[in-house]
Amino acid sequence: MKLAVWGALARGVVLESIRRKDLWVVAILGFVIMLSAGALGFFGAQGLQVFVKDLAVTVLGLFSTIVAILTTCRLMPEEVKNRTLYPLLSRPIDRFDLLFGKLIGAVLVSWIAFLALAALTSIALLNFGVRFDLLMAQYVLGKMMGLVVVCAVSFTLSLFMTPSAAATLSVILAFGSTMIVRGLVMGYEQASPAIQPLFKFLNAILPQYGLFDLGGRTANIDWGPVPAWVLGALLAYMVTYSGAMLAIGWAKFRKQAI
Amino acid sequence: MALAIECRDLTIRYRQKSGAFVEAVRDLSFSVKPGEVVGFLGPNGAGKSSTLKALMGFVQPIAGLCRVFGEPAGGVSAKRRIGYLPEVALYYPFLTPLETLTLYGQLQGLRGRQLRSEAHDLLDLLGISHVAGKQNRTLSKGMLQRVGIAQSLLGSPDLLVLDEITSGLDPVGRRELRTLLKSRRDEGTTLFFSSHELAEVEMLCDRILVIHRGRLVEERLVSTLKDQLRRHSITYSGRVSMVGLTDELTEIAPGTVTAVFETKEALLVAIERVQGSGQILDIVSREGSLEDYFVDTIQGAA
Amino acid sequence: MKQVGLIVSGTCGLAIATGWTATGWQTTLATTGQPAGLDAHESHASASLLGQFRTTFSGWLWLRTDLYLHNGVEMRRLTEQEVAGDHRGSSSIDNHDHALHDDSLITTVIPSAEQDFRGIFGDIERATSAYKDMTQHTHNDPVSALPLFRLMTWVDPSFLPGWTTGAAIIARDRSDRSLEKALGLLREGLAKNPRSIALDGEIGYLLAARRRDFRQAVHHLDRARIQSLERAALSDDEFEALPQIYRWLSLSYRERGMLAEMYAVLREGVERFPEDAVLQRLLESPPTPLLDSAGVDPPARR
Repeated sequence: MKLAVWGALARGVVLESIRRKDLWVVAILGFVIMLSAGALGFFGAQGLQVFVKDLAVTVLGLFSTIVAILTTCRLMPEEVKNRTLYPLLSRPIDRFDLLFGKLIGAVLVSWIAFLALAALTSIALLNFGVRFDLLMAQYVLGKMMGLVVVCAVSFTLSLFMTPSAAATLSVILAFGSTMIVRGLVMGYEQASPAIQPLFKFLNAILPQYGLFDLGGRTANIDWGPVPAWVLGALLAYMVTYSGAMLAIGWAKFRKQAI
Repeated sequence: MALAIECRDLTIRYRQKSGAFVEAVRDLSFSVKPGEVVGFLGPNGAGKSSTLKALMGFVQPIAGLCRVFGEPAGGVSAKRRIGYLPEVALYYPFLTPLETLTLYGQLQGLRGRQLRSEAHDLLDLLGISHVAGKQNRTLSKGMLQRVGIAQSLLGSPDLLVLDEITSGLDPVGRRELRTLLKSRRDEGTTLFFSSHELAEVEMLCDRILVIHRGRLVEERLVSTLKDQLRRHSITYSGRVSMVGLTDELTEIAPGTVTAVFETKEALLVAIERVQGSGQILDIVSREGSLEDYFVDTIQGAA
Repeated sequence: MKQVGLIVSGTCGLAIATGWTATGWQTTLATTGQPAGLDAHESHASASLLGQFRTTFSGWLWLRTDLYLHNGVEMRRLTEQEVAGDHRGSSSIDNHDHALHDDSLITTVIPSAEQDFRGIFGDIERATSAYKDMTQHTHNDPVSALPLFRLMTWVDPSFLPGWTTGAAIIARDRSDRSLEKALGLLREGLAKNPRSIALDGEIGYLLAARRRDFRQAVHHLDRARIQSLERAALSDDEFEALPQIYRWLSLSYRERGMLAEMYAVLREGVERFPEDAVLQRLLESPPTPLLDSAGVDPPARR
């Protein structure tokens, strides 16, 4: 029963996104990637594999994250603005089901965008003699898990603020959290013992997007696949962090007047 | 048997952007029996939509209770028996009416063949099957309202809560809707709706509730109200005493008088008296204006 | 969303178009006797947008190349506290290109497990990122990065480190073929940056030290020297390259038996760089010819 409800809501989000031509950006980017790869081919494939792979993982990471954030941040505010929330919530579902179904929809849209871009990028990479291996599959898996966390954070933020504010903050977190975490790591030893717990706290609450990014290993040479326990830990982190985000969002939304 | 709707001492309060609180509904109590058709009237800002939202669980009252068929309003088991039409709703612009009904039907718990047949039946019933495959954003306001009505009827709910029911519909559409709702009423569905169209209310309702500034100011059976609003008059010649029947006497010509009565009983007594000592020239029974009643009631409550 | 797509595709399209037509643009951006790169912005309105992009892109490529030579292991400079506390990690055994990085001043961005307070988060990051601690610090062969240097100079012909470092990497294997390829690259750079002190200096160095063609070496080194005197201002890189130019110019004069010119150049060099011990020593020591073996590096090369 619940699965059917979540499925119906998610399907609605995906259908709307496709019909709205949100994913056109993916098609355009794919075209640009192919063209860029063709232009780089003038320098000869030899020696440029690392650069092209690096470019590919950078573009993939950047644009799949942007699609995820923009799709997710407007979902609930648009429901309220367009009053499509009323007929939805008049159905025999509780508010948690609504949030969860919508979040699944947002995740699916970002996965579709990512996988479509990845497929187009792969074609471009083939021209440079890049071989696909287990590490690349792990990169895709890691990125997909990371996108779940991106969507969960953006979704929860959109329940607390306007869509543009939520998108701005999400972008800052998505592209800045790794930098902040690195700053914390550098600053920890220099910080006084009284301040150090604050560093630990900030590290715990910040979304650790960087952990899901295997792009550095994938782009460069001779790095092996990551151990299974790491993927298990990433899965556990994804479930825990996204669950916590959803719980915070639900706490706000469950009694909210609409 | 549980009441279809039961509201007791309902108080709803909103917080404004300035931080101040505004009471939209205060100590509102009413009930609706299963199978009844009740109109919920009031001027703009009276608290009608807030009350309906409380019934659907969209807002949490700060005091009082709201029950639907004995279940707490807003709960899943209560909502399973309700069909709701919001005052203004833009259905997903990039979905088609059929996809819209399929989505809501799935949320309603309908599956497979039952869902498909019900969706198509409703599209036929509402006269929008010819646009079933067009995206909602391309439909007219009236068509969208029909989509909205169709979704509210999904799953054959026991209670229909309709906010501004005829909004966006043309006269033909209104008539069709009236026929549709009457058939639902005849099947035993409870109807609770707000409207500014007093003619609809008069034609459909068993009872009306009038709300003003968040408080219930009138609760009347429509049949009684109609009797009450109806005016009877007799025009006669001759000297006839109307003492005890009416003070509303007008001499329209020398020796010719028109007397107006509030009740049919008074008219019948007057006819007997005129037949004894005068001559009846004319007898008229005229329906009263619900609009006048509504305005008078609101002004009286202000 | 659509706008984002348009902006992104527009920017990328512009990038591709820029690269594609780079040769044509060179006449506008880096014509003989005219300022190139960033300087061109002051005289060529059309150069502003493209020039900024090209300069930024080449700078970015430079940084990425350094990252690739570390096989993706992100490095950072040591903090003053780390330097003072002798916190640095082991330097690699193959730090053969100081032009790109100096291992004695860097460490990994991701700390080792002992220096990381993050517990399992740190362990995961070390597993998912391209990470090796400084004890396993190595470099990829810079030859693998040559296409990137070619790309840098193609995108922005005024990006001098692309020409000079690329040539230095090519010349590393000490064969005559590599030497000619390196000189070819530098001459191409010089044709596009005719006022470049660094390129003339680098060509002069290779001609003197590797090909032992002192006549041609004098031509380039002296031109670099004269340029440095004529210029109102020199960049830091150019200023740092000058002592080397004086050293090799004096040695080239000496090899050609032009001792008066040699002493004049050395006196001028010592006057401009009084702290330079090599120039001082060359001025004070008797003129002994270079060893008659090809490919001898001079003392204190860079």
